[in-house]
Formats: sequence, C-alpha cells, structure tokens
Amino acid sequence: MTLQECYAALGGDYEDAKGRLRSDRLVQKFVLKFLADGSFDLLCQSLEAGNYEEAFRASHTIKGMCQNLGFTQLQESSTQLTEALRDGWTPEAAPLVEQVKADYQKTAEAIRAFESSLEA
Amino acid sequence: MKNRDTRFLLCSLILLVIFCTLTFSFFTVQINTYNADTISEVGTLYMSGLNERITMHFGTTIDYRMSHVEALVDLLPEDGETDASLRSQLAYNAEARGFAALAFYSADGQFDTLYGSPLKVTDPEPFRKSLNAGEKKVAVGSDSQGAELVLMGIPAQSSMAGGGESVALVAAIPVETIKNIMALDEDNSLVYSHIIRKDGSFVIRSADAYRDSYFDRVWAMPEKAGDEEEIESYIAELRKAMERGETYSRVVRIGGERQHAYCMPLPNSEWYLVTVMPYGELDELVSSLGRQGMYMAFAGCGLILLVLLCIFWGYFRIAKRQMRELEQARVEAEQAKVEAEQATEEAERANQAKSEFLSNMSHDIRTPMNAIVGMTAIATANIGNEQQVQNCLKKIALSSRHLLGLINDVLDMSKIESGKMTLNYDQVSLREVMDSIVGIIQPQIRAKKQQFDVRIYDITSENVCCDSVRLNQVLLNFLSNAVKFTPEGGSIAISLSQEGSPKGEEFVRVHLWVKDTGIGMSEEYKKKIFESFSREDNTRVHKIEGSGLGMTITKYIVDAMGGTIEVNSQMGKGTEFHVVLDLERATVSESDMVLPSWNMLVVDDDQQMCESTVASLGSIGVTADWTLDGESAIKMVKTRHERGDDYQVILLDWKLPGMDGIETAREIRILMGDEVPIVLISAYDWGEIEDRAKAAGVTGFISKPLFRSTLFYGLRPYTGEPEAGMEKEDEKQLDFAGRNILLAEDNDLNWEIAEELLSDLDLKLERAENGQVCIDKFNASPVGFYSAILMDIRMPVKTGYEAAQEIRALDRPDADLPIIAMTADAFSEDIKHSLECGMNAHVAKPIDMKEVSRLLTKFLK
Repeated sequence: MTLQECYAALGGDYEDAKGRLRSDRLVQKFVLKFLADGSFDLLCQSLEAGNYEEAFRASHTIKGMCQNLGFTQLQESSTQLTEALRDGWTPEAAPLVEQVKADYQKTAEAIRAFESSLEA
Repeated sequence: MKNRDTRFLLCSLILLVIFCTLTFSFFTVQINTYNADTISEVGTLYMSGLNERITMHFGTTIDYRMSHVEALVDLLPEDGETDASLRSQLAYNAEARGFAALAFYSADGQFDTLYGSPLKVTDPEPFRKSLNAGEKKVAVGSDSQGAELVLMGIPAQSSMAGGGESVALVAAIPVETIKNIMALDEDNSLVYSHIIRKDGSFVIRSADAYRDSYFDRVWAMPEKAGDEEEIESYIAELRKAMERGETYSRVVRIGGERQHAYCMPLPNSEWYLVTVMPYGELDELVSSLGRQGMYMAFAGCGLILLVLLCIFWGYFRIAKRQMRELEQARVEAEQAKVEAEQATEEAERANQAKSEFLSNMSHDIRTPMNAIVGMTAIATANIGNEQQVQNCLKKIALSSRHLLGLINDVLDMSKIESGKMTLNYDQVSLREVMDSIVGIIQPQIRAKKQQFDVRIYDITSENVCCDSVRLNQVLLNFLSNAVKFTPEGGSIAISLSQEGSPKGEEFVRVHLWVKDTGIGMSEEYKKKIFESFSREDNTRVHKIEGSGLGMTITKYIVDAMGGTIEVNSQMGKGTEFHVVLDLERATVSESDMVLPSWNMLVVDDDQQMCESTVASLGSIGVTADWTLDGESAIKMVKTRHERGDDYQVILLDWKLPGMDGIETAREIRILMGDEVPIVLISAYDWGEIEDRAKAAGVTGFISKPLFRSTLFYGLRPYTGEPEAGMEKEDEKQLDFAGRNILLAEDNDLNWEIAEELLSDLDLKLERAENGQVCIDKFNASPVGFYSAILMDIRMPVKTGYEAAQEIRALDRPDADLPIIAMTADAFSEDIKHSLECGMNAHVAKPIDMKEVSRLLTKFLK
C-alpha cells in the first residue's frame, strides 16, 4: 500500500500534505505519528465525563492535526464538531460525535493498513 | 381679522375717552351747582342768625337805655310837680348815664329841655301819637347842631317849665353809640347792615352809603344794567314784606354781583334791619373751589385715560403679537402640511418605483432562470451528445452568472437601505485594481467589438488606502454600463490620474473617468440616475437587462468613500462619468525599483500618456523619448541608429494612427536587427495578437495601464539579470539565522510538523507545551533571548489568549516582543480577540510557510 493509496482510503488530500511538508518522507513520518496522538482518546473520555470544554479543545486539536496532514474527511467532521462544542454541548453535537468517531476509525484503519504494509 | 381687532380696540378706546370726559364734566358741573346752592343756603342761615343777633342786640340796647330813662321817670314825684332841684338832679343823672340830652315831651309835641341842646324829631307824627297813647317809643331826631340822635320816649306826667303837662320823658343818645354797640359797620366783615324805615329812608346807614334812601342806593348801584327787573321786583317784595312786618330774605343780582339781603323788623320802632352780604368774594372763593375741583376732576380724568391708554396699548401689542404668532403657526402648519404631502408623494413614488422594480426584477430574474431550467432540460435530454451538453452548460453558466449579478445587486441594495454596508479600508494597489478591472472587462469589450483604451498619468502613489472590493465594484459598474449601452464598434476609455489633495499631504486626489460613445442619457434621466430602481424608460433600453440598482449602489459607495460623481451625457453622443476620491496614501514605501539607465523610446498616440510614462520611467532610472505615431518613431530610431546611439528598449502602443504597432515593430527590426527588445503595450488581450506580434519581431508585451510598477516588472526581464525580487526574498529569509523562537503548541504532532517546517528558516525553535509553560519559559529567559513567540490558541492549563495577555503584562523590557497567533479558527472574531489580547498578528493553520516567514520578516527587524 502506498502513501497515496492510504490517503485515498482515509479520504485525505495527499497533494495538499505533500505541498506543505515537501517530501514523502515527512508526510509518512507524521502520518505514522498520528495514531500515537492522544487527542481522540481525550475527546471520547471528556465526552463521557461531560467535560465539554475539554472535549472542545480535543476536537479542535484533531481538526488542527488533520489540517496539517491533509486528512480532509476527518478534518471536516471534526471541524463541525468543534463548532458544535464551542459554546458547550448542543444537540447537533451528538450525531457529529458519531461521525467523528467513524471517520477516525476509518483514518486509523487506513493508517494501520499502511503501517503493516510497510512492515511487510 | 387684524383690521377688525384693531378697529374694535380703537372704537372702544374713543368711546371710553368720551364717556370718561362726559361723566367727569357732568359730575363737576353738578358738584359746582350743589356748591352754589349750599353756599346760598349757608348764607341765608348765617345771615338770619346774624340779623337775629343784631336785632336782639338792638332790642337789648334800647331796653337797657329805656330802663335808664325809666329810672329817671321814677325820680318824678307822684303829684307831677317838678321843681328846679329835681330838674337839675335829672339833668345830672342823664349826663351821668351818657345821654346826649333829656327833655319833657308835651302832648302837642313840644320839648322842655332838661339837659343838652334842644331836640327835634325827624318824623314827629308817629312818635307823638305813640307817646300820647301812653306807649314807649324810639325815634330818630337831631339836636340844634344837626347831629343825629336816637330818641327814647317813656310816658311820664310832669309839669313843664313853660307850663303845661308833659306826656313823656325823652332821652337822646347819639346814633354813633347805637352803631358802635350794634357793630353795624364792621370793617373786617363782608357783611354790612342798614336800618331803614318803611319808605326805604335810612335810620342808620353804614359803610359808604350816603343817599337818604336805601332804595335809591340800590337803584344807584353801578353796573346795574340788565338787572333792572330783578331790582324792581326786589324792592317791591321788600316793601310788601315791610308793610306786613315780616322777615324777608332774597338773593339778588346787582351789577353782575350776587348779594344776599336779609330784612327783619326791629322791635319798639317802625324800623327795619337790612343786612347785605355780597357774594363777590365768596363767589370767587366758591368758583375757585369749583375750578380747583374741575381741574382735579380733569386731571383725574386725564390720568385715568392715560392709564387706560397704556393698558390698551399693552393689550394692543399683546393682541398683535398673538396675531403674529397665530399667523406664524398657520404658516408653519401649512408648511408642515405641504411637507407631509410631499413626503406622502415621495413615499408613494418610492413605493411605485419598488413595485415597478419588482415587476421588472421578476421579469429579469425569470429570464435567466428560464434559460437555466430550459437548458438543463435540454442537456438532460441530450446527455449523450457532448457538443450539445457543452453548449447548454455554457449558456447555463452565463445565465447563472447574470442571475448572481442581479441577486448581488439586490443584496447590496438591501444592505445599503438598512445601513449595514460598511467599507473595509486596506492598502490597495491601484495597479492591481486597474489590472483586474481591465482583465474582467476585456472579454465583454471584445465580444462587442468595441474600442478600448486605458490611460493613466501623473500617478504619485500607486498604493492607497481604500476598499478594493468596492472600488472594483464601482469601476466595473461604470465599465459594464458603458459596454452595455455602447453599440458595437463604439469606443470606451477609462482614465486614472492623481493630483495633490486639499485634505493634506497624506492624501492624494484620485480622478477616474469612464467615457463611452454610447447612446447617452436624456437630461431628465440624468437627474434621477442615482435613484433606486430607476432605468431610463424607453424602447432603446428595454432590450438591455439590469436591476436598475447599479448606479444607486455605485453612488452610495462613492459617497461612503467621501467622493463625488459627475455625469456628462448627451443623447446619442455618449456618456462620461467622473469620480473624484480623496484617498489616504499607503504608508508602505514602494520598494526601490530601479532599472538600468537605458535610453528608451515610447510610442503612443496619446500625448498625455506618453509624458506620464516617460516621467514614470524617469523615476525608475530610465531616460526616454516619446513620439505619437509609428512613422516618426521609425525616423527617430533611424537617426539614433546612424549616430550609433541606439535605443535600448522600445515601447510601442499597438493601436496607432496609420501604421500600427506591429507594423512599426517589423520596420524597426529591419533597421536595428534582433538585439533590441521591442515591447508592445495595449489595453487589449495579449492572446489575440501574440502570434502576429511575435512574427513581426515583438519581444514582449505589457498590458495597460502603465504604472511605475507595471513598467518595472514588465521591463525587468530585459535587464539580462535573474529575478531580482526572488533573490531579495531569499536574502531576507537568511536574516532569521540563529534567532530563538518560542513556539507554544500542546499537540505533539502539530509541534513536530511546525518544527520540521520552520527548521528550514534556520530558526532555533523551543517548545512550550501550554500557555503556562510558555509564560514560565519566557520569564526564565535572559532579556532579548527570544525574538518572537508563535502561539497556539487552544491549549490546556492556559490558552494562548491568556498567555499573551500575561506576557504583555510582565515587567520586562522585551515584554513587547512579537507574538503571532496560530490557530485553526479562521473566524474574524478570533483574529480580533487575539489582537485584543496583545498579539501582533494571526496565521491560520495549517501552517503556511510563506505567510509565517512573511510575518516574521515583518516583525523581526
């Protein structure tokens, strides 16, 4: 699996990421590091705990990372969630949380597949 | 109304004056009459009192003297024999009692004088008769010397010296004594009295009376003329009263003077007492009193009238003022009415314009909408036919663009009408504005085969502060109108020039002209061109679509920019719009643009353009000549070529009178060979003529308008040097080497990416995991260690906002270091908030290296 295929699988914009980071090496490096980031876990925990301020910040961070990495799909859903949580909990946030979770799973799966193809 | 009031006031005033005068006069006359009556009554009372007193006094005096005489009678013996001793005793007693004489009186009227001189009775008959009857009697007589005496007879029987018997003893006293006693002739009194007999002759007269009869005296009063009848009746009445022995009182006018006479009989005699009081002085007193009363009355009347006059005058003025106010109020009310009517009319007109607009708009909107719907249907039906679908899509795109334009106009208008349209001032390059306008309008102009020209001259500031979007909108509106209303083959020109602004050194006055040779406007329409929803209503424009809002929006924008619009238009000849704006000069210095000291030739048919271009070239170090047509240009080139002093670059306008730019270029190439760059300038699209121009030997192309920067960037490629600008940027980036930058970022991944990217700039990056760490690290560093802070906003513990605020509040000389916010929030509120928290600038994530290095260049001096 190539990096491009990985981006296609997770709904991202490879050209955008490469334009910013300027080399495949760097793109690959940061994509692999994405899974290590704790923001998604923090988002889930905060939502369960009802700490929406923290959830907002976590969602915001995910959005920022996605922007940097060109993960368009996850970026869009996390952006919407960020806005839904900006002033605390809103009813729109509930479906968006599910959307972000789904997109994150999709992204994570694509990256894991890419990772395993590297190791192979 | 006014006259009636004034007349009423005047009439009532006059009536009041007359009434006052009459009333006062009447009262005065009445009072004077009463005064006179009262005074005559008082006179009567006074005089009756006086007369009674005088009469009583007379009676008393006579009685007193009588008693003396009786005392003498008592001395006579019973038998009536009188001897000599008795006679001398009587004479002695008479002398002692103050009598002037004493005598016995015989029945036949003979006197036997005892003492004093012999007596004679003035009117003996009544005297003798009374004494013979045994009565007491007083009479007037005289002695042998003729002195007047009052005689008093008391019956007494005695023998007389000459024989015979006496019937009475008569004693005499001088009349003067009676007068004095009775005070009949008082000097200091107005009143004088006489005693008269019944026939009017005086018994005792007083004052200056010298006639024998009182009646004669009355008759002889001086200046009695006209009063004869009165005097006659007076005398007659007096006589009658005296006959009857009654008291008589009367006011009589004698000699123009009123006199009050009071007559009363005296006891023991045939006499009457007449007391006269002349009214002369009294009259004078009374009349002076009356006069005074009258004067007082008239003065009072005058005073009252004066006060009344004052009151009337005041009232008159109040009335006049009220009338004036009333008049004013009426005028105001009328004005208000007219205004209200005007407002209603205006509202109605606006309403009508709006409904017209709506019906126009619904037509205008429906047309492109129909096109879109129809074309979509056609495209769907012919989905296999690529040619057809493409054609349909093209038309749909056109229609939707048109629709969008209409909707934008309507939205702008509603913004304007609700006062929500604001201007966003920013630095604007007039070159960029003109370039983009020309780029946008060119296709339309080409489509209508119109002539187009762009002229700029006398540009001192290419960069100004303005709302570029709105400025574009204004120019586009003018230009698209010009294109719309100018028939095919017409010409359109846009000009731009600058001059000093009256607003000061920091401002520049910008003139913009958009001129066409279109259908023009009627005078009436020119007046309302800037009104909402107006379109000239005639068949000429019915085919031309538009919302009718463009000019209103344009006018509003220019007004908001503080500028003016002028319209010159003639039916069938064309229209010219002239906009004047005073814009602030942008502060950025136009970076030193310098070209080699070339000798250049500029060829353009517009002399003003040529001069302006030559001046612009001069300011970037180029010496240039100019000429107006191709032929002379060739001549000039030839001359210089023969001198061996060739032009190094030649700028040629494409559209030239006679020989056009491309032909001229061909000729020049033949003359000079391939070395010299020949650059074509034109307001038209380069693409159309590129092939032909290249074939003719044209080296390059610069599109009008020719700003200094346009010339600089357009001509720089011919300097034979690599892109100078790029080099400069590289040099600038090198400046960052070794600088310490603190980067606050909580997310590891984002941090690594940022670090990776920024490492290219040779910066030394240090990470702060959150806002608090950022503050601590900065605080712990030596002063001046960090050159800048890049600050994420959403961080745990402390946000970027808080961190920036705290750092700014620190007591360190470098607490004002540049802080640049980095966040994925691109909302303007966030940008505003970060600036409010003391940060210098804001970059959006994902990190754009160019933007970051631009900002760092800006802030790291």
